[in-house]
Amino acid sequence: MRAQIVSLPAESSIQRAIRRLVKYKVNALLVTDENDHPRGVVSKTDIMAGYYAGLPIDFPLENIMISPPLFCRAADSLESALDTMRSNHIYRLYVTDDNQDRVVGVLAYPDIVGLLYRYCHACNRSVLKQGKDQRLLDERDRIRVRDVMTPSVKWFSEQENLLRIMEGLSAHRFGAILIKDSEGIPSGVISKTDLMRAYMRGIPPETAARTVLTSRSVISCDDGAFLEVALQKMVLSDLQRLFVYQRGPHNIVGVFSLSDAARSRSGSCYACVSSRIKVEGMR
Amino acid sequence: MFTARNVMATTFCTLRADMTIMEAIKLFQRASREEQRRIFGMIVTDEAGRLLGMLSMYDILLFVRPKHVQVWGTMTDIDVPGLMEVVSERAKSVRVEELMTTHVVTVTPDTHVMVILDIMIKKHIRRIPVVSDERIEGMVYLSDLFYFLVDRLSA
Repeated sequence: MRAQIVSLPAESSIQRAIRRLVKYKVNALLVTDENDHPRGVVSKTDIMAGYYAGLPIDFPLENIMISPPLFCRAADSLESALDTMRSNHIYRLYVTDDNQDRVVGVLAYPDIVGLLYRYCHACNRSVLKQGKDQRLLDERDRIRVRDVMTPSVKWFSEQENLLRIMEGLSAHRFGAILIKDSEGIPSGVISKTDLMRAYMRGIPPETAARTVLTSRSVISCDDGAFLEVALQKMVLSDLQRLFVYQRGPHNIVGVFSLSDAARSRSGSCYACVSSRIKVEGMR
Repeated sequence: MFTARNVMATTFCTLRADMTIMEAIKLFQRASREEQRRIFGMIVTDEAGRLLGMLSMYDILLFVRPKHVQVWGTMTDIDVPGLMEVVSERAKSVRVEELMTTHVVTVTPDTHVMVILDIMIKKHIRRIPVVSDERIEGMVYLSDLFYFLVDRLSA
Protein backbone atom coordinates (compact mmCIF):
# COMPACT_ATOMS: atom_id res chain seq x y z
CA MET A 1 0.00 0.00 0.00
CA ARG A 2 0.98 3.61 -0.35
CA ALA A 3 1.16 5.53 2.92
CA GLN A 4 0.61 8.91 1.34
CA ILE A 5 -3.12 9.58 1.40
CA VAL A 6 -4.29 12.37 -0.82
CA SER A 7 -7.44 13.82 0.69
CA LEU A 8 -9.58 16.96 0.72
CA PRO A 9 -12.46 18.19 2.87
CA ALA A 10 -15.96 17.57 1.43
CA GLU A 11 -16.60 21.27 0.80
CA SER A 12 -13.49 21.69 -1.41
CA SER A 13 -14.08 22.55 -5.05
CA ILE A 14 -13.72 20.25 -8.04
CA GLN A 15 -10.97 22.55 -9.26
CA ARG A 16 -8.95 21.97 -6.11
CA ALA A 17 -9.41 18.23 -6.51
CA ILE A 18 -8.12 18.34 -10.09
CA ARG A 19 -5.00 20.18 -8.93
CA ARG A 20 -4.38 17.57 -6.24
CA LEU A 21 -4.87 14.64 -8.60
CA VAL A 22 -2.52 16.13 -11.19
CA LYS A 23 0.07 17.14 -8.63
CA TYR A 24 0.25 13.82 -6.81
CA LYS A 25 -0.28 11.71 -9.94
CA VAL A 26 -3.11 9.71 -8.43
CA ASN A 27 -6.44 8.60 -9.88
CA ALA A 28 -8.64 9.37 -6.89
CA LEU A 29 -8.66 11.13 -3.57
CA LEU A 30 -10.34 10.56 -0.25
CA VAL A 31 -13.02 13.04 0.80
CA THR A 32 -13.16 13.75 4.51
CA ASP A 33 -15.64 15.37 6.92
CA GLU A 34 -14.90 18.12 9.43
CA ASN A 35 -13.44 15.56 11.87
CA ASP A 36 -11.10 14.23 9.19
CA HIS A 37 -13.10 11.01 8.91
CA PRO A 38 -13.46 9.44 5.46
CA ARG A 39 -16.77 10.23 3.77
CA GLY A 40 -16.27 9.30 0.16
CA VAL A 41 -14.00 9.02 -2.82
CA VAL A 42 -13.68 11.26 -5.85
CA SER A 43 -11.96 9.71 -8.85
CA LYS A 44 -10.99 11.09 -12.23
CA THR A 45 -14.11 9.31 -13.53
CA ASP A 46 -16.36 11.27 -11.15
CA ILE A 47 -14.71 14.53 -12.19
CA MET A 48 -15.14 13.64 -15.85
CA ALA A 49 -18.83 13.01 -15.13
CA GLY A 50 -19.01 16.51 -13.63
CA TYR A 51 -17.44 17.94 -16.79
CA TYR A 52 -19.92 15.97 -18.92
CA ALA A 53 -22.86 17.21 -16.85
CA GLY A 54 -21.66 20.79 -17.10
CA LEU A 55 -21.18 21.29 -13.35
CA PRO A 56 -19.40 24.50 -12.37
CA ILE A 57 -15.71 23.97 -11.53
CA ASP A 58 -16.17 25.40 -8.04
CA PHE A 59 -18.83 22.82 -7.15
CA PRO A 60 -18.14 21.08 -3.81
CA LEU A 61 -16.80 17.53 -3.87
CA GLU A 62 -19.54 16.21 -1.59
CA ASN A 63 -21.92 16.49 -4.53
CA ILE A 64 -19.91 14.27 -6.84
CA MET A 65 -18.20 11.85 -4.45
CA ILE A 66 -18.97 8.15 -4.26
CA SER A 67 -19.86 7.25 -0.71
CA PRO A 68 -18.89 5.40 1.41
CA PRO A 69 -15.27 4.55 0.61
CA LEU A 70 -14.40 0.86 0.66
CA PHE A 71 -11.77 -0.36 3.07
CA CYS A 72 -9.52 -3.25 3.76
CA ARG A 73 -7.30 -3.82 6.78
CA ALA A 74 -3.54 -3.63 6.76
CA ALA A 75 -3.36 -7.27 7.86
CA ASP A 76 -5.56 -8.57 5.02
CA SER A 77 -3.87 -10.60 2.31
CA LEU A 78 -3.20 -8.95 -1.01
CA GLU A 79 -5.23 -11.68 -2.67
CA SER A 80 -8.38 -10.93 -0.67
CA ALA A 81 -7.98 -7.20 -1.23
CA LEU A 82 -7.69 -7.84 -4.98
CA ASP A 83 -10.85 -9.95 -4.80
CA THR A 84 -12.76 -7.12 -3.11
CA MET A 85 -11.56 -4.73 -5.79
CA ARG A 86 -12.54 -7.10 -8.58
CA SER A 87 -15.99 -7.90 -7.20
CA ASN A 88 -16.83 -4.23 -6.56
CA HIS A 89 -15.35 -3.09 -9.89
CA ILE A 90 -13.16 -0.54 -8.17
CA TYR A 91 -9.52 0.33 -8.59
CA ARG A 92 -8.51 1.13 -5.03
CA LEU A 93 -9.18 0.35 -1.40
CA TYR A 94 -8.36 2.50 1.58
CA VAL A 95 -6.41 0.69 4.25
CA THR A 96 -7.32 1.02 7.92
CA ASP A 97 -5.24 0.00 10.90
CA ASP A 98 -6.27 -3.04 12.91
CA ASN A 99 -8.71 -1.08 15.08
CA GLN A 100 -10.37 0.14 11.88
CA ASP A 101 -10.55 3.69 13.13
CA ARG A 102 -7.75 5.28 11.18
CA VAL A 103 -6.91 5.32 7.49
CA VAL A 104 -3.23 4.47 7.14
CA GLY A 105 -2.84 4.03 3.42
CA VAL A 106 -4.32 3.28 0.05
CA LEU A 107 -4.01 0.21 -2.10
CA ALA A 108 -4.38 0.82 -5.83
CA TYR A 109 -3.62 -1.31 -8.88
CA PRO A 110 -0.64 0.73 -10.03
CA ASP A 111 0.99 0.35 -6.60
CA ILE A 112 0.53 -3.40 -6.68
CA VAL A 113 2.20 -3.48 -10.06
CA GLY A 114 5.11 -1.58 -8.55
CA LEU A 115 5.41 -4.24 -5.88
CA LEU A 116 5.15 -7.15 -8.28
CA TYR A 117 7.57 -5.49 -10.64
CA ARG A 118 10.14 -5.10 -7.92
CA TYR A 119 9.73 -8.71 -7.00
CA CYS A 120 9.95 -9.84 -10.56
CA HIS A 121 12.99 -7.76 -11.19
CA ALA A 122 14.81 -9.35 -8.27
CA CYS A 123 14.03 -12.79 -9.64
CA ASN A 124 16.97 -14.59 -11.22
CA ARG A 125 14.87 -15.74 -14.12
CA SER A 126 14.02 -12.21 -15.14
CA VAL A 127 14.55 -11.50 -18.82
CA LEU A 128 16.10 -8.17 -17.86
CA LYS A 129 19.00 -10.00 -16.25
CA GLN A 130 19.82 -12.14 -19.23
CA GLY A 131 22.41 -11.26 -21.80
CA LYS A 132 21.39 -11.73 -25.39
CA ASP A 133 23.68 -14.69 -25.83
CA GLN A 134 22.74 -16.63 -22.72
CA ARG A 135 19.06 -17.33 -22.70
CA LEU A 136 18.32 -19.32 -19.60
CA LEU A 137 14.78 -20.09 -20.57
CA ASP A 138 13.10 -21.11 -23.72
CA GLU A 139 11.50 -18.01 -25.22
CA ARG A 140 8.30 -19.94 -25.82
CA ASP A 141 7.79 -20.02 -22.05
CA ARG A 142 7.69 -16.26 -21.76
CA ILE A 143 4.63 -14.10 -21.66
CA ARG A 144 4.52 -11.42 -24.25
CA VAL A 145 2.40 -8.31 -24.38
CA ARG A 146 0.02 -9.88 -26.90
CA ASP A 147 -0.87 -12.60 -24.39
CA VAL A 148 -2.34 -10.25 -21.78
CA MET A 149 -3.31 -7.10 -23.66
CA THR A 150 -6.89 -6.14 -24.34
CA PRO A 151 -7.02 -7.23 -27.97
CA SER A 152 -9.36 -4.62 -29.33
CA VAL A 153 -9.00 -0.91 -29.66
CA LYS A 154 -11.70 1.70 -29.61
CA TRP A 155 -10.76 4.95 -31.24
CA PHE A 156 -12.27 8.29 -32.08
CA SER A 157 -11.60 10.78 -34.83
CA GLU A 158 -9.90 14.11 -34.07
CA GLN A 159 -13.07 15.85 -35.17
CA GLU A 160 -15.27 14.15 -32.59
CA ASN A 161 -16.27 16.36 -29.67
CA LEU A 162 -15.24 15.77 -26.09
CA LEU A 163 -18.76 14.75 -25.02
CA ARG A 164 -18.65 11.75 -27.42
CA ILE A 165 -15.19 10.87 -26.15
CA MET A 166 -16.36 10.97 -22.53
CA GLU A 167 -19.28 8.70 -23.45
CA GLY A 168 -16.83 6.29 -25.06
CA LEU A 169 -14.48 6.26 -22.07
CA SER A 170 -17.34 5.70 -19.70
CA ALA A 171 -19.05 2.97 -21.77
CA HIS A 172 -15.85 0.94 -22.04
CA ARG A 173 -14.46 1.83 -18.62
CA PHE A 174 -11.27 3.10 -20.22
CA GLY A 175 -8.84 5.56 -18.73
CA ALA A 176 -7.78 6.82 -22.14
CA ILE A 177 -8.74 6.42 -25.75
CA LEU A 178 -6.89 6.44 -29.06
CA ILE A 179 -7.45 9.34 -31.44
CA LYS A 180 -6.92 9.05 -35.19
CA ASP A 181 -6.57 11.76 -37.80
CA SER A 182 -8.67 12.06 -40.96
CA GLU A 183 -6.42 9.54 -42.72
CA GLY A 184 -6.99 6.96 -40.02
CA ILE A 185 -3.46 7.27 -38.63
CA PRO A 186 -3.14 7.29 -34.82
CA SER A 187 -2.43 10.89 -33.86
CA GLY A 188 -2.67 10.93 -30.10
CA VAL A 189 -4.38 9.79 -26.95
CA ILE A 190 -6.98 11.50 -24.76
CA SER A 191 -7.00 10.38 -21.15
CA LYS A 192 -9.25 11.25 -18.24
CA THR A 193 -6.43 13.47 -17.01
CA ASP A 194 -6.48 15.41 -20.29
CA LEU A 195 -10.26 15.85 -19.89
CA MET A 196 -9.90 17.08 -16.30
CA ARG A 197 -7.34 19.59 -17.47
CA ALA A 198 -9.67 20.75 -20.24
CA TYR A 199 -12.40 21.14 -17.59
CA MET A 200 -10.10 23.29 -15.48
CA ARG A 201 -9.12 25.43 -18.45
CA GLY A 202 -12.78 26.10 -19.17
CA ILE A 203 -12.79 24.42 -22.58
CA PRO A 204 -16.43 23.70 -23.53
CA PRO A 205 -17.09 19.93 -23.79
CA GLU A 206 -18.53 20.47 -27.27
CA THR A 207 -15.00 21.24 -28.52
CA ALA A 208 -13.32 18.87 -30.98
CA ALA A 209 -10.83 16.35 -29.61
CA ARG A 210 -8.05 17.88 -31.72
CA THR A 211 -7.84 20.94 -29.46
CA VAL A 212 -6.93 19.01 -26.32
CA LEU A 213 -4.40 16.59 -27.81
CA THR A 214 -1.30 17.45 -25.83
CA SER A 215 1.22 15.35 -27.60
CA ARG A 216 1.20 14.29 -31.20
CA SER A 217 2.40 10.82 -30.49
CA VAL A 218 1.06 7.54 -29.24
CA ILE A 219 3.36 5.75 -26.83
CA SER A 220 3.28 2.13 -27.86
CA CYS A 221 5.15 -1.13 -28.02
CA ASP A 222 5.34 -4.14 -30.30
CA ASP A 223 2.90 -6.95 -29.48
CA GLY A 224 5.81 -9.36 -29.31
CA ALA A 225 7.61 -7.41 -26.59
CA PHE A 226 8.23 -9.18 -23.30
CA LEU A 227 5.74 -8.21 -20.62
CA GLU A 228 8.33 -6.86 -18.25
CA VAL A 229 9.92 -4.67 -20.88
CA ALA A 230 6.52 -3.08 -21.49
CA LEU A 231 5.97 -2.73 -17.74
CA GLN A 232 9.35 -1.09 -17.38
CA LYS A 233 8.38 1.43 -20.01
CA MET A 234 5.12 2.27 -18.22
CA VAL A 235 6.55 2.37 -14.72
CA LEU A 236 9.47 4.58 -15.65
CA SER A 237 7.49 7.11 -17.62
CA ASP A 238 4.42 7.28 -15.37
CA LEU A 239 2.13 5.82 -17.99
CA GLN A 240 -0.87 3.75 -17.05
CA ARG A 241 -1.22 2.13 -20.43
CA LEU A 242 0.64 1.38 -23.60
CA PHE A 243 -0.91 0.91 -26.99
CA VAL A 244 0.24 -2.22 -28.71
CA TYR A 245 1.07 -2.45 -32.39
CA GLN A 246 1.71 -5.21 -34.87
CA ARG A 247 3.97 -4.73 -37.88
CA GLY A 248 4.63 -1.04 -37.24
CA PRO A 249 3.29 1.77 -35.03
CA HIS A 250 0.43 2.70 -37.39
CA ASN A 251 -1.29 -0.60 -36.87
CA ILE A 252 -2.53 -0.46 -33.27
CA VAL A 253 -4.04 -3.80 -32.28
CA GLY A 254 -4.50 -3.61 -28.53
CA VAL A 255 -4.02 -1.84 -25.22
CA PHE A 256 -2.00 -3.00 -22.26
CA SER A 257 -2.66 -1.27 -18.95
CA LEU A 258 -1.09 -1.41 -15.51
CA SER A 259 -4.38 -2.81 -14.25
CA ASP A 260 -4.19 -5.63 -16.81
CA ALA A 261 -0.74 -6.36 -15.54
CA ALA A 262 -1.78 -6.39 -11.90
CA ARG A 263 -4.69 -8.65 -12.71
CA SER A 264 -2.56 -11.12 -14.57
CA ARG A 265 1.01 -11.20 -13.36
CA SER A 266 4.04 -9.08 -13.32
CA GLY A 267 6.74 -10.87 -15.22
CA SER A 268 7.10 -12.51 -18.55
CA CYS A 269 7.85 -15.79 -16.88
CA TYR A 270 5.27 -18.39 -15.90
CA ALA A 271 7.25 -19.15 -12.75
CA CYS A 272 5.91 -15.87 -11.44
CA VAL A 273 2.85 -17.56 -9.99
CA SER A 274 5.11 -18.68 -7.18
CA SER A 275 6.48 -15.19 -6.73
CA ARG A 276 2.96 -13.91 -6.16
CA ILE A 277 2.60 -16.22 -3.22
CA LYS A 278 5.84 -14.86 -1.80
CA VAL A 279 4.71 -11.31 -2.41
CA GLU A 280 1.71 -11.98 -0.24
CA GLY A 281 3.95 -13.26 2.51
CA MET A 282 6.12 -10.15 2.27
CA ARG A 283 3.45 -7.57 2.82
CA MET B 1 9.19 48.31 15.18
CA PHE B 2 10.41 46.03 12.40
CA THR B 3 7.83 44.90 9.92
CA ALA B 4 7.62 43.13 6.57
CA ARG B 5 8.57 46.44 4.94
CA ASN B 6 12.04 46.21 6.50
CA VAL B 7 12.87 42.71 5.35
CA MET B 8 11.04 42.24 2.08
CA ALA B 9 12.72 42.07 -1.30
CA THR B 10 11.03 44.52 -3.65
CA THR B 11 12.33 43.08 -6.87
CA PHE B 12 11.04 39.62 -7.66
CA CYS B 13 10.07 37.66 -10.73
CA THR B 14 6.58 36.34 -11.29
CA LEU B 15 5.01 33.59 -13.35
CA ARG B 16 1.86 33.64 -15.43
CA ALA B 17 -0.77 30.95 -14.87
CA ASP B 18 -0.89 29.94 -18.54
CA MET B 19 2.87 29.39 -18.87
CA THR B 20 4.03 25.83 -19.32
CA ILE B 21 6.15 24.19 -16.63
CA MET B 22 9.05 24.24 -19.07
CA GLU B 23 8.76 28.02 -19.44
CA ALA B 24 8.54 28.32 -15.65
CA ILE B 25 11.69 26.24 -15.21
CA LYS B 26 13.58 28.53 -17.59
CA LEU B 27 12.32 31.54 -15.68
CA PHE B 28 13.52 30.00 -12.41
CA GLN B 29 17.00 29.77 -13.95
CA ARG B 30 16.88 33.31 -15.33
CA ALA B 31 15.50 34.80 -12.11
CA SER B 32 18.23 33.07 -10.12
CA ARG B 33 20.82 34.75 -12.33
CA GLU B 34 19.16 38.18 -12.23
CA GLU B 35 18.41 38.26 -8.53
CA GLN B 36 21.75 36.60 -7.74
CA ARG B 37 20.16 34.17 -5.39
CA ARG B 38 18.81 30.73 -6.05
CA ILE B 39 15.05 31.02 -6.46
CA PHE B 40 13.05 28.12 -5.00
CA GLY B 41 9.57 29.50 -5.43
CA MET B 42 7.80 32.13 -7.50
CA ILE B 43 4.44 33.78 -7.24
CA VAL B 44 1.89 33.49 -10.01
CA THR B 45 -0.02 36.64 -10.95
CA ASP B 46 -2.74 37.69 -13.37
CA GLU B 47 -2.45 40.55 -15.88
CA ALA B 48 -3.41 43.09 -13.21
CA GLY B 49 -0.60 41.86 -10.97
CA ARG B 50 -2.95 40.18 -8.51
CA LEU B 51 -1.76 37.09 -6.68
CA LEU B 52 -3.14 33.80 -8.06
CA GLY B 53 -0.85 31.27 -6.47
CA MET B 54 2.66 30.12 -5.85
CA LEU B 55 4.80 27.58 -7.66
CA SER B 56 7.56 26.13 -5.53
CA MET B 57 10.54 23.94 -6.20
CA TYR B 58 8.65 21.19 -4.40
CA ASP B 59 5.71 21.41 -6.82
CA ILE B 60 8.12 20.97 -9.72
CA LEU B 61 10.01 18.15 -8.02
CA LEU B 62 6.76 16.27 -7.34
CA PHE B 63 5.99 16.60 -11.02
CA VAL B 64 9.43 15.34 -12.06
CA ARG B 65 9.46 12.35 -9.72
CA PRO B 66 8.18 9.17 -11.36
CA LYS B 67 5.31 7.81 -9.32
CA HIS B 68 6.73 4.31 -9.04
CA VAL B 69 10.21 5.39 -8.19
CA GLN B 70 10.35 3.02 -5.22
CA VAL B 71 11.01 0.12 -7.56
CA TRP B 72 14.21 1.76 -8.77
CA GLY B 73 16.15 0.75 -5.70
CA THR B 74 16.39 -2.73 -7.12
CA MET B 75 16.89 -1.64 -10.68
CA THR B 76 20.41 -0.24 -10.54
CA ASP B 77 21.49 -2.39 -13.46
CA ILE B 78 18.91 -0.93 -15.78
CA ASP B 79 19.73 1.99 -17.97
CA VAL B 80 16.72 4.22 -18.49
CA PRO B 81 17.28 5.85 -21.82
CA GLY B 82 15.09 8.80 -22.63
CA LEU B 83 13.74 9.41 -19.12
CA MET B 84 14.69 13.08 -19.10
CA GLU B 85 13.18 13.49 -22.55
CA VAL B 86 9.88 12.01 -21.34
CA VAL B 87 9.73 14.40 -18.37
CA SER B 88 10.86 17.33 -20.47
CA GLU B 89 8.19 16.61 -23.08
CA ARG B 90 5.52 16.51 -20.38
CA ALA B 91 6.79 19.78 -18.90
CA LYS B 92 5.95 21.42 -22.21
CA SER B 93 2.27 20.49 -22.00
CA VAL B 94 1.46 21.02 -18.32
CA ARG B 95 0.69 24.57 -17.23
CA VAL B 96 1.72 26.46 -14.13
CA GLU B 97 -1.93 26.81 -13.06
CA GLU B 98 -2.23 23.04 -12.83
CA LEU B 99 0.60 22.59 -10.34
CA MET B 100 0.60 25.82 -8.40
CA THR B 101 -0.65 26.12 -4.83
CA THR B 102 -3.62 28.44 -4.71
CA HIS B 103 -3.92 28.76 -0.95
CA VAL B 104 -1.10 31.21 -0.39
CA VAL B 105 -0.43 32.78 2.99
CA THR B 106 0.26 36.50 2.69
CA VAL B 107 1.21 39.31 5.05
CA THR B 108 0.86 43.09 4.80
CA PRO B 109 3.78 45.56 4.79
CA ASP B 110 2.92 46.31 8.43
CA THR B 111 3.04 42.74 9.72
CA HIS B 112 5.66 42.43 12.46
CA VAL B 113 8.76 40.40 11.60
CA MET B 114 8.22 38.11 14.59
CA VAL B 115 4.69 37.36 13.39
CA ILE B 116 6.14 36.51 9.99
CA LEU B 117 8.72 34.30 11.65
CA ASP B 118 5.96 32.53 13.56
CA ILE B 119 3.95 31.89 10.37
CA MET B 120 7.03 30.57 8.56
CA ILE B 121 7.90 28.18 11.38
CA LYS B 122 4.38 26.90 11.98
CA LYS B 123 3.43 26.45 8.34
CA HIS B 124 6.85 25.36 7.08
CA ILE B 125 7.03 28.07 4.46
CA ARG B 126 10.13 29.82 3.29
CA ARG B 127 8.69 32.77 1.40
CA ILE B 128 5.65 34.96 1.91
CA PRO B 129 4.27 37.57 -0.49
CA VAL B 130 3.63 40.98 1.04
CA VAL B 131 0.29 42.22 -0.22
CA SER B 132 -1.47 45.53 0.23
CA ASP B 133 -4.77 46.39 -1.50
CA GLU B 134 -4.36 43.39 -3.82
CA ARG B 135 -0.97 44.73 -4.92
CA ILE B 136 2.12 42.64 -4.30
CA GLU B 137 4.65 44.92 -2.64
CA GLY B 138 7.42 42.42 -2.04
CA MET B 139 8.56 39.02 -0.88
CA VAL B 140 9.87 38.02 2.51
CA TYR B 141 12.37 35.16 2.27
CA LEU B 142 13.20 33.06 5.31
CA SER B 143 16.93 33.49 4.61
CA ASP B 144 16.61 37.30 4.48
CA LEU B 145 14.60 37.27 7.67
CA PHE B 146 17.27 35.14 9.33
CA TYR B 147 20.09 37.51 8.39
CA PHE B 148 17.99 40.54 9.30
CA LEU B 149 17.48 39.10 12.79
CA VAL B 150 21.05 37.84 13.12
CA ASP B 151 22.44 41.27 12.26
CA ARG B 152 20.26 42.93 14.89
CA LEU B 153 21.01 40.29 17.52
CA SER B 154 24.77 40.65 17.16
CA ALA B 155 24.76 44.45 17.01
